[in-house]
Amino acid sequence: MNTRIIFTIIVISLGSIAAILPKTKTSSTQLTADELLMEMKLQTYVVSTDELADLLISNDPAIMLIDVRDSVAYQQYHLPGAINIPLKDLLHPDWIPYVDQISKKNIFYSNGTTLSNEAWIVTKQLGFRNNYVLGGGLNEWFSSIISPERPASTDPNEIWALYETRKAASMYFSGSKPAAREDNSTILPPIPRKKKTRVQGGCS
Amino acid sequence: MGPIVPLFNISNEINLLMAFIIGLGFGFVLEQAGFSSSRKLAGMFYGYDITVLKVFFTAAITGMLGLIFLNFMGLIDLDIVYINEYYVTSSIIGGVIMGAGFIIGGFCPGTSFTAAAIGKIDAMWFVFGSIVGIFIFGEVYPLLETMYMSNYEGSVKISTILGIRDGYFALLLIVVASLMFWIGEIAEKKFKREDIIDEI
Amino acid sequence: MDPYIAGVLLGLVLLVSFYLTGRGLGASGATRSMVVSAVSAVAPGHAENTTFFHKYRSDESPMKSWLVLEIAGVIIGGFLSGAWAGRLKLKVEHSPKITPKKRIVMATIGGLFFGFGSQLGRGCTSGAALTGMATLSLAGFVTMMAIFGTAFALAYFFRKNWI
Repeated sequence: MNTRIIFTIIVISLGSIAAILPKTKTSSTQLTADELLMEMKLQTYVVSTDELADLLISNDPAIMLIDVRDSVAYQQYHLPGAINIPLKDLLHPDWIPYVDQISKKNIFYSNGTTLSNEAWIVTKQLGFRNNYVLGGGLNEWFSSIISPERPASTDPNEIWALYETRKAASMYFSGSKPAAREDNSTILPPIPRKKKTRVQGGCS
Repeated sequence: MGPIVPLFNISNEINLLMAFIIGLGFGFVLEQAGFSSSRKLAGMFYGYDITVLKVFFTAAITGMLGLIFLNFMGLIDLDIVYINEYYVTSSIIGGVIMGAGFIIGGFCPGTSFTAAAIGKIDAMWFVFGSIVGIFIFGEVYPLLETMYMSNYEGSVKISTILGIRDGYFALLLIVVASLMFWIGEIAEKKFKREDIIDEI
Repeated sequence: MDPYIAGVLLGLVLLVSFYLTGRGLGASGATRSMVVSAVSAVAPGHAENTTFFHKYRSDESPMKSWLVLEIAGVIIGGFLSGAWAGRLKLKVEHSPKITPKKRIVMATIGGLFFGFGSQLGRGCTSGAALTGMATLSLAGFVTMMAIFGTAFALAYFFRKNWI
């Protein structure tokens, strides 16, 4: 058998395999279902209400709170310094510089965690980084920070210490101070992430 | 996952070193295939030696199947791999001018470098000619700019245009190439030129 | 080397290039880099004023261009292969029907056409046709057909140069 016939047989077989391969989309940024489940299980993207209270009190300039509820709910109440990007507008070109950037830690929140988790999954699959979700949402924020439940007198000291901190935070947020971060204009514009682009090639 | 350089922010020096090593392989294979001889290359157009057809299509098929399988195994992100931009007018006219250059000069830029490397003086003149050609293009570019930029279709894939999956197109091309190889080998016997084959 | 085996090896080199760097092979782009650098060095003002040279001008030396390094590899790789096969020899290869001088004139004119066309077509046989076909790009197939189609169509008129 000459080389041509051997070669033809090999490539036609490989070509037939290529033709019947199921269509897959391999992307360096998109997670597989398993990877996504694993991330969700590990909860690495969740910021607890206590952590958030800490960050807000210390006036950390590197966080950006993003309210993903609709604008009516946002106007009624929102966390100090939060900007409003309703979930349906998340990928609007005007907002992309906010959700796809590398300089800040974005924290999505909604009343519970349904909307904010959706926002996180969408941005994660697009390869955007630095996006987090407020654990428990505004509901948890109210029950744990704004009006913390008084522990039983038999509870251990740590619980009491936590309660004291929360109580102080509550005073901070419900007092006359929360206007501190209200002015959005002072927030530095985010630095855009380097985009995933095709490499230059060929002879150009 | 690949491609390694753009995904892992590899330094430019390493990238250039890779370019050099890839070039070594490229040059070695071209020369081994016999592409350092213009009369062998030109044989393609007169039927007495179809090495160009064989090497060119075999390489394209190997690369194509390789990309499809690497992508299937999740080893390469084809969204990043370079896909040539399609400017209809300039692709066709540029290709026609290159075709004329091929039959007149007997080389293409890549093969002229390997031929010059082994001492073919005509190849060195071909390289010189292409330098002049590029210089002239640069000088007359303002006159050609409209045509150079016209009918832009983007980085479009042939399988997308035909509306079929990459794998189907690859199989189609393989079948067509296999037929061309078969016909080509018949032609090689028919237009046999012992005198030329002996000389090159 | 058997052409089919050489082709598979060439395809593997191409694949390695895609896997490592995301780009295929090229040749004419390296020549352009050298032309642009030469023009910039000889006549900086002219390079600045000419759209095309200005577009591809870079402050870095041409020795930092990917394609120039790749072509440096091609030349050395070709030389090594020639040395290994015992083909190193200074000569003008031409058909017995034409003089070496005519062959050199034709090679230069061919180079001129190829250089010009490669810039218009955004790549030559390596950068546009071969690389383009492997990625299934439409531009690659169109350029490949234009190159080989024209060469076949004109083959009759230049037959004396070759056969």
